[in-house]
Amino acid sequence: MFPIVQVGPLAIQTPGLILLIGLWLGLSLAEKFAPQREVSPNDVYNLVFTALVAGVIGARLTYILRYPQAFIPSPLSVFSLNPGLLDPLGGAAAGVLAALIHGQRKKLPPWAALDALTPLLAVLSIAVSLSNFASGAGFGTPTQAAWGIELWGAKRHPTQLYESLAAAIILLALWPGHRYLQNWAAGRYFLVFLAASSLARLFLEAFRGDSILLPGGIRLAQALAWSILAFCLFQLQRLSK
Amino acid sequence: MPALLLAGLLWIWVSRVPEGRLAQGGVSTPRKGFQAPDFALADINGNSIRLSDLRGQPVVINLWASWCQPCRAEMPALQRIYSEYQPQGLILLGVNATSQDDLAAARAFAEDLGLTFPILYDTQGSVARLYALSALPTTFFIDHAGVIREVVIGGPMSEALLRIRIQQLLEHPVEKAP
Repeated sequence: MFPIVQVGPLAIQTPGLILLIGLWLGLSLAEKFAPQREVSPNDVYNLVFTALVAGVIGARLTYILRYPQAFIPSPLSVFSLNPGLLDPLGGAAAGVLAALIHGQRKKLPPWAALDALTPLLAVLSIAVSLSNFASGAGFGTPTQAAWGIELWGAKRHPTQLYESLAAAIILLALWPGHRYLQNWAAGRYFLVFLAASSLARLFLEAFRGDSILLPGGIRLAQALAWSILAFCLFQLQRLSK
Repeated sequence: MPALLLAGLLWIWVSRVPEGRLAQGGVSTPRKGFQAPDFALADINGNSIRLSDLRGQPVVINLWASWCQPCRAEMPALQRIYSEYQPQGLILLGVNATSQDDLAAARAFAEDLGLTFPILYDTQGSVARLYALSALPTTFFIDHAGVIREVVIGGPMSEALLRIRIQQLLEHPVEKAP
């Protein structure tokens, strides 16, 4: 776990740095291979940029709407750089909505655009797991396994590393340069990536020590992953007909 | 396809957890969701405060140093929030990382800013080690049951963030550690 790296007088927050590097590498990869999907690299960049800006603004606005009374005594907090004042769900919704509107205005074919974005999503999956490893988030359940790691007062499953490894295998298997991907119908590349990622989440979530539980002890992330997997398999079956 | 989905459902069922089994309240470690590690430190007059003695009340621990500019920047907001929420039972402990600071400078800092909440002096660095202090300031929000509900590394925190986190602590139902 390396939450902070001290470089001279600078204290660098490693988890955030890993996410930024992941975004940069993923975006570069997506831009490089976007023409294969008949999407221009510029369109990929603009789509991601629009979604990110809208996501951050939406996350802050949602947070203010949830807790307006906290901002009345200190209105300048609206512009605070604290990431704690962001609502992730509101941000994601605003980002997706902005991307949809942008894509429609630019007349981007939705499935081809999703295919073009898939390398970015694949690299970000690795970056998120490594970022969790650096911060100690997404930790595993206690274990006696030889490869367990000491974290948060116990020897635990290194779930962040399991997830990084799974995401890396998915990226390598679905590397955008592979020839066999060239003839896939629009949308198939994205759906296969999403199905593989959901399958990995469905399996690996069982080792997480921080799962949100539904009644009966069912892990919420597994239920969501199973639903996404089912949707992807259904869509893939339709595409192959 | 049906076989894969069926296997998935089976795996979800096999890997379900009994209610409360994942709760981290029984383990003491400086992480959200876990029990706050216990410590005892003295203020400038030698009066000792032990964290576990404060169980039953929400506690905010702010680790700071006099040379740390973000610490200085967020102190007025902390003081305002303390004055506002102390009547509702909020405990705010300002823990000076004295092993990385100068005691006289730390005292002057607290006096200059007119801080009225307890200032404790971590002269041996034991709390800094116990709470894996990696940056200053760092703030821990601890609920009535002694469970850490939020950790904010770095600063300055905005007043709105402080207000929201403290309101959440005051509203949080008391949970028993397993």
